[in-house]
Amino acid sequence: MTKTTANPSQGSFDPSNPPGLRAQQAKWKLTFVFAAIVLVYMFTSWQTGSSLIDLWFGMPDVWRMVGELFPPNWGYATETWGRLSETIQMAIIATTVAGILCIPISLMASSNIAPNKWVYNITKQIMNILRTIPDLLLAVIFVGIFGIGAFSGIMALIIFSLGILAKLLAETIEAIDKNPLEAIRASGGNTIQVIVYGVIPQILPQYTSFTLYVFEINVRASLVLGFVGAGGIGQLLQRSISFFQYGRAMMIIIIIFVAVVIIEYISGKIREEIL
Amino acid sequence: MAQTTTLTLPPKKKIPRKKVIRNWIIVAFLVAMYAWTFSSIGINWGQIFSERTLNNMTRVVPQLFSPEWAVAPDALRLMGETLAMAYTGTLMAALLAVPFGFFAAKNMFNSRIINTSAKWSLDAIRAFPEIMLALIFVAAIGPSPFAGVLAIAVGSIGMLGKLYSEVIESIDMQVVDSLEANGANKLQILFYGIIPQVIPEFLSYAIYRYEIDVRSSTILGLIGAGGIGMMIQISTMNRNWDEVGMALLIIIAVVTVIDYASSSIRKRIV
Amino acid sequence: MIEFKNTSLVYPNGTQGLKDVNIKINEGEFVVIVGLSGAGKSTLIRSVNRMVTPTDGELLVDGEDILSYNGRQLRDLRTKVGMIFQNYNLVKRSTVMKNVIAGRLGHTGTMRSILNLYSNEDKSLAYHNLQRVNISEKVHSRADELSGGQQQRVSIARVLTQQPKVILADEPVASLDPPTSHQVMTYLRKVNKEDKITTLVNLHFIDMAMEYADRIIGMRAGEVVFDGPASTVTEKTFEEIYGRKIREEDMVGGDEDDENNG
Repeated sequence: MTKTTANPSQGSFDPSNPPGLRAQQAKWKLTFVFAAIVLVYMFTSWQTGSSLIDLWFGMPDVWRMVGELFPPNWGYATETWGRLSETIQMAIIATTVAGILCIPISLMASSNIAPNKWVYNITKQIMNILRTIPDLLLAVIFVGIFGIGAFSGIMALIIFSLGILAKLLAETIEAIDKNPLEAIRASGGNTIQVIVYGVIPQILPQYTSFTLYVFEINVRASLVLGFVGAGGIGQLLQRSISFFQYGRAMMIIIIIFVAVVIIEYISGKIREEIL
Repeated sequence: MAQTTTLTLPPKKKIPRKKVIRNWIIVAFLVAMYAWTFSSIGINWGQIFSERTLNNMTRVVPQLFSPEWAVAPDALRLMGETLAMAYTGTLMAALLAVPFGFFAAKNMFNSRIINTSAKWSLDAIRAFPEIMLALIFVAAIGPSPFAGVLAIAVGSIGMLGKLYSEVIESIDMQVVDSLEANGANKLQILFYGIIPQVIPEFLSYAIYRYEIDVRSSTILGLIGAGGIGMMIQISTMNRNWDEVGMALLIIIAVVTVIDYASSSIRKRIV
Repeated sequence: MIEFKNTSLVYPNGTQGLKDVNIKINEGEFVVIVGLSGAGKSTLIRSVNRMVTPTDGELLVDGEDILSYNGRQLRDLRTKVGMIFQNYNLVKRSTVMKNVIAGRLGHTGTMRSILNLYSNEDKSLAYHNLQRVNISEKVHSRADELSGGQQQRVSIARVLTQQPKVILADEPVASLDPPTSHQVMTYLRKVNKEDKITTLVNLHFIDMAMEYADRIIGMRAGEVVFDGPASTVTEKTFEEIYGRKIREEDMVGGDEDDENNG
């Protein structure tokens, strides 16, 4: 009896299941996954005409294009100012409107505040659907309704950012301390007072941070809305490329780059400060 | 109750001077920002509240909500192309981002120049929206899904490279140290000490990026870079909003499914 | 006056919260309700301001059956019946003043409360109540900067600012150490005597119940199993209420300056 316990490795050895077999299985699994990834890649690259061969033959064109983009047409910078401001203004308006609208919507989309299950589920599902629609697609639709211009772009940005903001905010609201809400209700407060006194103070820092985050997203998005006629600097970029004015195009690209970097830097700093 | 006649108001709250100044700066900045925005934005309100808008509204909206099923096969085929574009592009980016990730990781290259230049190039790439890259690639090689693939491949490097470098910086360096102590060379350390630690996270992030790329590649077609966006572009030009409605329906359905599948796969990996 | 008449409550999951309760609480009484956890103490207290709704019988507050109340009537009832909670339930990120003035919400119009337009009377009342519980120097501090005992005092000030006729306190000292517990109970007792506010307190510490209560109600499994003046209560009574021997954990121990944390 002492012998068997003295040599535990002997007891656990099973000749039909040698050690290392599990590792072997994992290896097979990995090989299979790897093979699947490569096979799918071969198919998709063939289907989209972007295999390594296409890449090889396409690269010279890309490099020629890059060459043509330089030097940038520095003098053109002054002419882009108006459109650049429009871009940022669109983002400001859209973020403001979405920031206001998202409050009631996110309250309806949070399980702990929503008046009933129906309101909660319907709002949440609508927001889920909204988030799947790309911003540019919304812009195409609004251009179809309101015509070419910044207004269509603003509408697209509002709808687009509403989906994101409402989701983030609803998650925050669902995580708040619900004890104070109970206390306010118990002292005779109505629903609006419960929200203003109990919910809002608890979510304010996150709300500000999310709004700034969405502002960043909106600036990026509004830069390209002009491609479909929804206002902003994108319109100039598209025009200069279709007129083969690559120097101008490069100038716009530089301006966009600088604008994005500056805005993200500022917004990031503020968000760090708040949270 | 004596206090009903003599009111004892709480003392005024003392706010530090610095905070008062800061608050006023914020208020001034906000006022200036909104004044600038609303005074100079060019919105043609006459055009927006016009009979034409009303006509458009009554035509476009109902059509969007009654999708044209006849174009469903076409739309599905193009959606397939969109998924393929996103896959090819994401995979290329997932591989190209690996060296960037290593260069940007502090524990791999102990050189500030290498780290920061890699980080900066990743940040620079991230600053550009994919569709802008697509516009340039379309100009370079003509309208094709290939242009879209290139845009996704380049555009995704920024985010993936950054996430990869964070993963690499968080690995257990003791494993690397002990391999080094055993006399393993750099390549052996990479394959036995580092790669096994980072593979699951790399894969998970690549799948997450695929999710994002599917969304963005649905619109690349609007500027000629292939996929379902092409159909939307043509249908809007012809004012066939019921076809747009069909495309929209497919996009919503497919994106929802991909999001769901992606998050459940990612949960299993990590 | 609060009167339970054959009041019963069954929760949707089938748990019997209250079982045929018949009690009458007179104005200005300081009543402590004791019982093991799950005995129905909380349900009893929370029925009075309708945080839970009894499913059977009658519950009269000032002669009116409150069980049919909703909307405006319910908010009026809650304005008149204040509540204190185990976890203080303050908005942690708001200042003490804002938390205390929230006691006026039931008396204030929605618009005025949103815009923070309180009369000087309201502000003065809030501040005066902070003075009564000796915490007025913290008036502009954020609630999360305060200790547990301080937070509970703020919540007493909040309830006083509501100018209630009844105060319900649901395990008000369960999260506090013994000296602080005694302090909080002393304040509750003081308020009860000075303002003649009917007070119902849930406790599970028997020594505390005997020290502060005018009258003790014992509960077990949703039923009232004891009801009598605190002076008649002995440890034996508690053993009957609890259905078991008294243990050390049933005592808070200590007095106001006792360091022993039992």
